[in-house]
Amino acid sequence: MQVKGSKEIRAGVLDSGLCTGCGACVSLCPYYATHKGKTVMHFSCTRDEGRCHAHCPRAEVNLDRISTQIFGEEYSAEPFGSYISIYAARAGDKAGLGSFQTAGTVSALMKFSMEKGYIDSAVLTKNDKGFGVPVIIDDPSGIEKASGSRYSVSPTVKGVNEAIISGRRKIGAVSTPCQTLAVAQLRGNPLKQENFTDPIAFSIGLFCTWALTASDFTALLKSMGDISTIRRLDIPPPPASVMEIETGNKSYIIPLDDIRKLIPEACSYCHDMTAEFADISVGVYEGKTKQNIAIIRTEKGRKIFEEAVTAGYLVTEKIPEEAIAPLAAASMNKKKRGLAKLAEADLINSEAGHTVIRLEKSTLDSIFKGGASCC
Amino acid sequence: MLLSNNEGKEFLLMGNQAIARGALEAGVSVAAGYPGTPSSEIIENLASVAPDADLYVEWSVNEKVSLEVAAAGSFAGLRSLCVMKQNGVNVASDFLLHLVLSGTRGGMVLIPCDDPGAISSVNEGESRYFARLMEIPLLEPGDFQEAKDMTKWAFELSEELGNVVMLRSVTRLSHASGNVKLGALNRTKPTAEFNFSGNLLDAKTGPVITAPVPFRHTQQQAKLKKAAALFETSPFNRYEGPEKPELLIITSSACYLYSREALRVLDAEKRAGILKLGTTWPLPPELLKKHLAAAEKVLIVEEVLPFLEENIKIFAMDSIDSIGKIKFFGKNDGTLPSVNEMNPDHVIKAISSILSIPYTGMPEEYEKSGQILSFTKSPNRELTFCPGCPHRASYWSINRALTLNGENGFVCGDIGCYTMAILPAGFGTIKTAHSMGSGTGVASGFGKLKSFGMKQPVVSVCGDSTFFHAGMPALVNAVHNNSDMLLVILDNSGTAMTGFQPHPGIPSGAAGNELPGLDIENICRSIGAKTFTADPFNIAATEKKVLDIIENETGARVLIMKQPCALSPEKKGKKKYNVSVDSSICKGTDCGCNRLCTRVFRCPGLVWDNAAGKAVIDEIICAGCGVCADICPSGAIKRSEVVL
Amino acid sequence: MIDPFNIIITGVGGQGNVLAARMLGNTLAKAGYYVTIGETFGASQRGGSVMSHLRISKESAWSPQIPKGKAHLIIALEPVESLRVLAAYGNREVKIVSNTRPIYPVGVICGDLAYPSLPDLNSAVAQLCDDARFINATEEAVALGHPILSNVIMVGAAAGLGLLPIDDEAFKSVISENVPESKIEINMKAYRKGKEMAGDPVKF
Repeated sequence: MQVKGSKEIRAGVLDSGLCTGCGACVSLCPYYATHKGKTVMHFSCTRDEGRCHAHCPRAEVNLDRISTQIFGEEYSAEPFGSYISIYAARAGDKAGLGSFQTAGTVSALMKFSMEKGYIDSAVLTKNDKGFGVPVIIDDPSGIEKASGSRYSVSPTVKGVNEAIISGRRKIGAVSTPCQTLAVAQLRGNPLKQENFTDPIAFSIGLFCTWALTASDFTALLKSMGDISTIRRLDIPPPPASVMEIETGNKSYIIPLDDIRKLIPEACSYCHDMTAEFADISVGVYEGKTKQNIAIIRTEKGRKIFEEAVTAGYLVTEKIPEEAIAPLAAASMNKKKRGLAKLAEADLINSEAGHTVIRLEKSTLDSIFKGGASCC
Repeated sequence: MLLSNNEGKEFLLMGNQAIARGALEAGVSVAAGYPGTPSSEIIENLASVAPDADLYVEWSVNEKVSLEVAAAGSFAGLRSLCVMKQNGVNVASDFLLHLVLSGTRGGMVLIPCDDPGAISSVNEGESRYFARLMEIPLLEPGDFQEAKDMTKWAFELSEELGNVVMLRSVTRLSHASGNVKLGALNRTKPTAEFNFSGNLLDAKTGPVITAPVPFRHTQQQAKLKKAAALFETSPFNRYEGPEKPELLIITSSACYLYSREALRVLDAEKRAGILKLGTTWPLPPELLKKHLAAAEKVLIVEEVLPFLEENIKIFAMDSIDSIGKIKFFGKNDGTLPSVNEMNPDHVIKAISSILSIPYTGMPEEYEKSGQILSFTKSPNRELTFCPGCPHRASYWSINRALTLNGENGFVCGDIGCYTMAILPAGFGTIKTAHSMGSGTGVASGFGKLKSFGMKQPVVSVCGDSTFFHAGMPALVNAVHNNSDMLLVILDNSGTAMTGFQPHPGIPSGAAGNELPGLDIENICRSIGAKTFTADPFNIAATEKKVLDIIENETGARVLIMKQPCALSPEKKGKKKYNVSVDSSICKGTDCGCNRLCTRVFRCPGLVWDNAAGKAVIDEIICAGCGVCADICPSGAIKRSEVVL
Repeated sequence: MIDPFNIIITGVGGQGNVLAARMLGNTLAKAGYYVTIGETFGASQRGGSVMSHLRISKESAWSPQIPKGKAHLIIALEPVESLRVLAAYGNREVKIVSNTRPIYPVGVICGDLAYPSLPDLNSAVAQLCDDARFINATEEAVALGHPILSNVIMVGAAAGLGLLPIDDEAFKSVISENVPESKIEINMKAYRKGKEMAGDPVKF
């Protein structure tokens, strides 16, 4: 894996419209910052190699290497990537959560793992004047406040970086696919630092079809009224093609087509819908508002999940084939689209200048040839 | 020395000191100016003796007003002096245009000090052309004795003609020193009275006006003709050399000394002659004719533009019947450069080529060797802000706020120490830089371009002295026209770049006397701008404030960053903090730091110890402001308050 | 004495270049010489290189700029400036007396540029000039009680070379006009020390 530095990040990622604003480069050093969802660079760093480049999910990501690091096998051409099992899940009574946007699986898992000591702190994302900002929670009671779906880009990995710098070593992180990829890279000690231990004890990934440019979305929300009183933000399942927003005293409906205009270009290069490098990936179960789909990927994930079920924090069900198929199809489509766009821009296995992905050619070929398949 | 009689005694004086002494010997009563290198020492010298010399000395708010203040002295019958650098004449030129029409009473001398080569300027403009344009006499001292003697004479000349006389100096005279024999100092105390009850057309006793213009203009031109006649016998025009020189050099100012030097070096004193003109406008016709008739080749040596050259060529054309055809050498034919300052080597090269005298100033091999050795072994000295300078901290915050905002915002710069933000010293923050007050004027314009799709936030910076000089009208313009821009006033309590002179915001005057200081914050609010303040040394709060004002406020806004200059009397030599680096924490070149303090912040007090791979504080240079402690990403820089 | 005798005093803005030039210039003016000192202030205050050109002559006043390659004596208050001045105004016969204490340019301080070691600098200077003497003026000044005395030591060293008709009494009267009475003796001590040090420069 070729680790380069900030010059390559500036030219290849920030100035090329590839940055997803995940925050992986922020708080590691004084040269990166994030503001209203956008990652920017202060001054310039002259180092040839840096963690910014090593952790960035849009720079020299060797999918086979990360896959081997986490799963012990090379990158899978399957729609969901590598995984062990897949369930429908929702928060159980023992989780002690109040009302929540969808099924509360993630909050329940976080609460369980913290109460049982699998993690000492959680890095989540909360709302700050319409923008998503990372938050470090050290007490289970704080987990619920940072729950709820987020639709705009937020620099969550900045929070992970800050948690690590502060000395926390059993971190649970909840992150979108690009953020999860960054976290996975940092866990692999790419700069071969001495005395390195993996600070991430539990990684939960969130499904993501796309995200919205934070400042544009906030501007849109502001034009609707006082966004400090937004109580609910939701995209109902098809056949609806709208976003529903509920403020203190009004309800708004925005056509999804209008929303789609706010998707940053960077998202169109993304090939990962289900956060393939997490311990457990959780997302919307189309047609079932009170349930999530949970993809269990690692042994650690399986252990925590099964214990949470036993303890009554989670309630699970098997998912029928017909329910998995649409998710697999959507996931495969995104994978193909993202990889195709990257390939078109010579950003896969490129030897000239910047590359985003490195991947076995045969795997790449089979992704492009393959249709949607299931487990 | 300045006020001592000491007639006949010789001293080593700086050109500006000699000028000040000349003014005192002439009995000057009023002296006004605006700080500008290389002119400032003239006013400073006069200010230092003002209390004991019945002299009123003022640092006016700008050059235009300084000329008006001096003119008032003249109208009231006092001898008065106005001093500025070259581009100050541009600022004063509107009033000057009218003053030369109305005429003057008490002797009045305007002294611009030009800066050829822009050694301490951002232009190498010419003040000489203004004398011709404004149709007033132009005097140029050729050495230090003349700097004194001609200044004294200029007042007499002004009174004889009834108009302003321009005496022009250059850096190489103003800031150089030479032997000067003092003259008599007869200080009288004249009474000021403005006489205006005479006939409307009487320049001496009527109102001081420019109407009727053709009438006054005719009088003005007659004065100039009178001057030309007087110049025929002036001792400041001298010829030295053979009666019939192979080459006649006509020169003035410091170029006279370069020309002499060149002839000596080339051993050509018997072949070429030098006509040194001390009165360069109007040209003394008979004197010129006499010397032009005796020569077939003429080299004109002067700074920057061919002012003298073109005037002489016109004269030569008009007099061609009596002087014959002449081959001229100068700037228009490329013999001498018309950019950058003159020096002996340019003149040597010119004469050596015209008279075919071989000359090697420095052997080629030596020159090459010297260049390589110097380039490889003597590291360049880039200009930077002093240790403890508030501007470094201000630009740090402004730069970072604009980056965070992410809309490609920019800063329009202005004139002062803070202009150095075009360099790495100020992180390259400034993107336009022209003349005094222009940053805010330009920003006022940029702030109206939203309707053309411009999304970039507009910021201007302006010093406290610059604000009074020319920034205020620009701010009025921005407020009145609803321009969307932020003016950041970098208030360091003084006119720092030129030597820390006072200005209207400071409660003292040129002579150290107590005066009311105007409050910039109140002025901005009264103008109607949304006004905020910040302490630039508190970088976190200042950055936040700048970002907040850019993103959440609209219209014409002002943010005053107030922190005194490191060289101000209240700060100089006094440390607020003892600062040190804990090398066990310092990350140096590691990922996570990459020497942010030494490589980017670049305060001279922060030294990079390459051998140890750590940053170190140079305690002698460090001013103890403590800002770097907040820069350090690892918390390795420690500061502790100095307990007195 | 060569007429005009051309001296360049060089250093870094803020070091006291101007004062040193005045000290030397006034001393020679008192002895009846025509002296011209050419200087540039202003922006050079902010850490730039500065030069004072001194012309000493019995005959007349000369220009405030020395022609290229025509310096006779270079007094460097800062070591690396001696090389810079040599490149523009030097020749094999010029004499140099230089302080050893560096003032690092910002580029060096911040780690971007390298500053030569003294032996390295000396060998570069030796390629352009036959008689260069480096003396530890700042060290000696600190030993005498104040770093600012280093300039007086340097003027003393220049006097010690015996190239100029510098009269010790004339120098003392110049000092007396510029410092309080209590400081005259220490300044003269520094001047005499400088004269001594010129004869015993740093050995390489």
